[in-house]
Formats: sequence, structure tokens, C-alpha cells
Amino acid sequence: MSYIHVQHLSKRFQTRKKSERRSLRREKTTIQALEDVSFDIEQGELIGYIGPNGAGKSTTVKILSGILTPDEGDALVGGRIPWKNRKEYVKNIGVVFGQRMQLWWDVPILDSYSLLKDIYRIPEAAYQKRLSELAEALNLGDLLRTPLRQMSLGQRMRAELCGSLLHQPEMLFLDEPTIGLDAVSKLALRDFLKWENREHRTTILLTTHDMEDIAALCPRVMVLGPGRKLYDGSLQDLLRHYDKARTVEIRYDRDESVPDLPESVQTRKEGDGFRIIYEPEKLPTAELLSLLQQAGPIREMTVQPQNIDHLIADMYREMGL
Amino acid sequence: MNTVRLYLRSMGILLKSQLQYPLSFLLQTMAQLIMEGGEMLAVVLLVDRFDHLNQWSAGDLYFFFGLMSVTFYITECFGRGITGSFPSMVRTGQLDTLLIRPRGILTQVLCSAVDPRRITCIAVGIVSLTLGSRMSRVDWTAANILLLAESIFCGFWLILGLFLIEAILCIHSVKSVEIANALTYGGRSACQYPVDAFPRSLRTLFTVIAPFALVMHVPASRILGKPIFGWPDWAAWLSPLSSFVLFAIMVFLFAKAMRFYRSTGS
Repeated sequence: MSYIHVQHLSKRFQTRKKSERRSLRREKTTIQALEDVSFDIEQGELIGYIGPNGAGKSTTVKILSGILTPDEGDALVGGRIPWKNRKEYVKNIGVVFGQRMQLWWDVPILDSYSLLKDIYRIPEAAYQKRLSELAEALNLGDLLRTPLRQMSLGQRMRAELCGSLLHQPEMLFLDEPTIGLDAVSKLALRDFLKWENREHRTTILLTTHDMEDIAALCPRVMVLGPGRKLYDGSLQDLLRHYDKARTVEIRYDRDESVPDLPESVQTRKEGDGFRIIYEPEKLPTAELLSLLQQAGPIREMTVQPQNIDHLIADMYREMGL
Repeated sequence: MNTVRLYLRSMGILLKSQLQYPLSFLLQTMAQLIMEGGEMLAVVLLVDRFDHLNQWSAGDLYFFFGLMSVTFYITECFGRGITGSFPSMVRTGQLDTLLIRPRGILTQVLCSAVDPRRITCIAVGIVSLTLGSRMSRVDWTAANILLLAESIFCGFWLILGLFLIEAILCIHSVKSVEIANALTYGGRSACQYPVDAFPRSLRTLFTVIAPFALVMHVPASRILGKPIFGWPDWAAWLSPLSSFVLFAIMVFLFAKAMRFYRSTGS
């Protein structure tokens, strides 16, 4: 059986809000955070979990890390039910919340780590070995004696990662780990996750809004809509379906040249040139080119695929999210 | 044993954190001294005016006040996680980060905070306790010392248990500070004085529901040689243990509340 086995998982939250002005009665509304979500993940997989805000990504992570109990459905992670026998279960997982720090704020991170060693009852030798390995992979050597509060966001995220992996969990959950990080920190983080996944066969599930994260890290991606699973497969297959349009930027020698194009093509004047979005399936590129040339001598021209974020936005729109 | 070690090491780390801001620490400690000094002044004025309350002499009153101060502030110092920071941990979701670690929630909450600023309040309590025992000529036999230690130790768990009420209510997202405070801070203010100074309803409240009288006044009156309620010797040894009954009930309710938290989330 697969390492993570999730079947028909459902979770509802009740929120209350004041129904009318002056009224003291509060109306209960139920939000379906997850509805009949099922998937399987093999040991050693690296999986991206995407979806718009409020789709239920964090709820899934919370259920699988034993913080929440679902209303319906089953889940097994490494043969254990996450919300049963909490203490026994969480020994084998690590969780990183991108927006919530777990280490102690005012003390050197090395002190935090040695406390985590006691919390997880890690033997001294294993702790030393793992710490030096992680410190090297995360480039933390010089920072071990620095308090968390004096670190940059990128350094803090690396420190947090180290803390949640000290006990060498089989499974790592990351909830938006790259949020707010600069380009260099993001790259370093991705490299590290690949390394950890390859070296220790750690199964990794990460939620993100950053498509670059998925493209760089995850062979497999799951898309979550409001509560439902909408897609499960490779990123390429997902994009192929939406990746239809190309953008052309063009400038003519003479300013009065205006290309005459069919209606299926979006044309917009931009600066002293034009931005044209067309779909090669509807209008073959050769035809577009000859139409563009008829308008006059071309000075310069670029053709680009669509930005990956736009694709995802299109996809959410089409899926009705 | 490992848990005790974890608690001590956590305390070490937290103290280190607090000392990162020495000036702020010093100022706040001084503020605490002024606050608790003021509380003691109230007793001083009372004694100055009336010189006794029922059968209790001035020395006895200092003794009762000192016992409450020492116990209450030891609890606020070492139980800070429960007496102070728990509601905000629920509100900010910080509680989630405890749930993903393989330790008991209450253990981790207790390990998450300490409040060494209370040291001055404890000192005021010790002064009052010493003063009272001198004035009332307490005979410090081994039994009396032991009884005092038992009273303070049991009082710690009693007060912690009462603060757990607030924790439980805030998991159920009930704004209830007033109800919970009536028993904790209200209990402290009232039970600085021996319980037989109060009308029957309050006496019942602080004997049966929040048993400050059983945990503190019964052994203290025994030490002062004037057993309250006319209870026998052995009662003074036995009655402080009632705090464990209350604490156990609260821990049970807390565990139930945590199950609720995990099925509703934040």
C-alpha cells in the first residue's frame, strides 16, 4: 500500500457572523473546507499542492499532521492514523508553517535545537550527526549562535527547516515555505528540499502559490479548488491544456503602420509598438506572420509563451474558482 | 524524569531570553514590587486600625497574607504558560505548533513561559510571612515547616487548576475572563484573609469550589496554633491534598476541550 492513503476526506467549519444590524442573534454558516478528497502518495515522492487562497490546502496539511480531526473519511500516513495517538504519530513527521515560527525567538538557534533534542528524545550521537549534516546543507554554520530575532526572513526559514528535520522524520509537510523569500533564498530552499528528498527518501508535501516552486521541485502536482481535488498529475500535462496562447511584441519602422488582424487575436497598442496575443491553433503562426508583414517593414519582434502565473489564473478561472 | 529535565532546560532558555532585555526586566520587576508592596500596605493599615480580626492577631494576618502572596506568585512565575500565555496561544494558532510535537500539551504549555519578574512579589510575601511568624511566635518545628511547604506546594496546583478554567473556556472560544478571574484573582484577594472572616456563601465558595481555605487556611491556622473550624491535627495535613482533586478534574476537562479544538480548528 502507498505511504499516504487518503480517502473521502471531508471537513466542515462553522463560523458565526452577525446576521443583521442591531440583532444579537448570530447566524451560523458552514464552510465546507474539504469535500471528498482522495489521493495516494508513495514514499519518497515530492508533491506540490496548489490552489487559490481558501481552497483547503492548509486544512489538508493540518489533518495529515494530526492537528485537526476530519468529519468524514480515512487517512493513513505510514500505516498510522494522524489524529489518533497524536504523540506516537508526530514523532515521524516534520511540519513547517511558512508564517508561524516554531523556534524560540530570543535565544541562539543552537539552544532551540538542543531543546528539540530533548522534546523528541533524540540520542546525542544521532543528534550531533544530523545537526552537522543539516547545518552544512542549509548553510547555517555561522548562524548557530545567532538568536532567531536577529535573522533575515530567509535565514529564519532555513533555521526553521533545520529544526523540523532534526528528528529525521519520514514525512515533511511544508505550508507555504517560500512565502516572502527573495530569489536567492528561494533557490537555496528548493535545492535543500531536493537534497533532503534524494538523500533520505523523505516524502515531502508542500503547499505553495509560487509556480516556480512547483516547476523546479515537484514532478507531481495536485490542484485543490474550494474543498475539492481538481487535478492530480504532472505539471506539464496540466499546463499543456491551458498553455495555448503566445504573446508577440512588435515594432514597425514607420509609426503609421497598423497590422490588420482577425478578431480572434487581441491587439493592443503599447508604447511605440503592439502587443498581440494569439492562439497558434486558431491562427497558424505562418499566417500571422504574413499578415504582420503586410502592414509594413518590421523593425523588431519577440514571441513569448505565457507567464506560468497567468496560466494558473486562467486555469482557476476555467475551473470556476 | 525526562519531563522534569525538559521543564528545567526550558526554564533556562526562557530566562536567558528575558535577560536579553535587562533594563526592561529591571523596571518591570520594580513595578511588581510597588504593586505587591501596596497590597501589603492594605494589611498594615488594617492591622494598625483594628489590631485584630475575630480571633486573629496582627501577626496571624501577616502570616495569612504572606502565605497567599508566596503561593500565588510562585504559581504565576512558574506556571506562566497557563496563567498568562495560553489564551494568546489559542488565538494566534501557536497552539498548533505544540500539537505537532510528541509531548503532552499541558507539559509543553508549562514549558513555554516563565515570569521571573514575580520574584519581588514573592519576596514581599516572604517578608510578610516571616514578620507574621515572629509576631505570633510560631514554633518552627520540623512538622510546622513541612506543613507550610505542603501548603505552598498544594496551593501551586490549586491556583494552576483554577487558571485552567480560563484555558478551557478560551478553547471553546468563550470570552469569559471575568468568570475565571473571580476565582483566581478574586480568590487571591479574598483569601489573603482567613476565610472565617467572610459570610457563609463566600466561605462555602472558597472551601468547596475553589478550596483556598482547605489548602492554605487550615494548615496555616494549625501552624499558628489556632485550628480554624476547630478541626483536628490530621485534617491540617490532609485537607491541602484537595487541590489535587481540583487539578485532576481540570486536567480531565482540559483534555476534553483539546479534543474539541482538534475537531474544530482555528
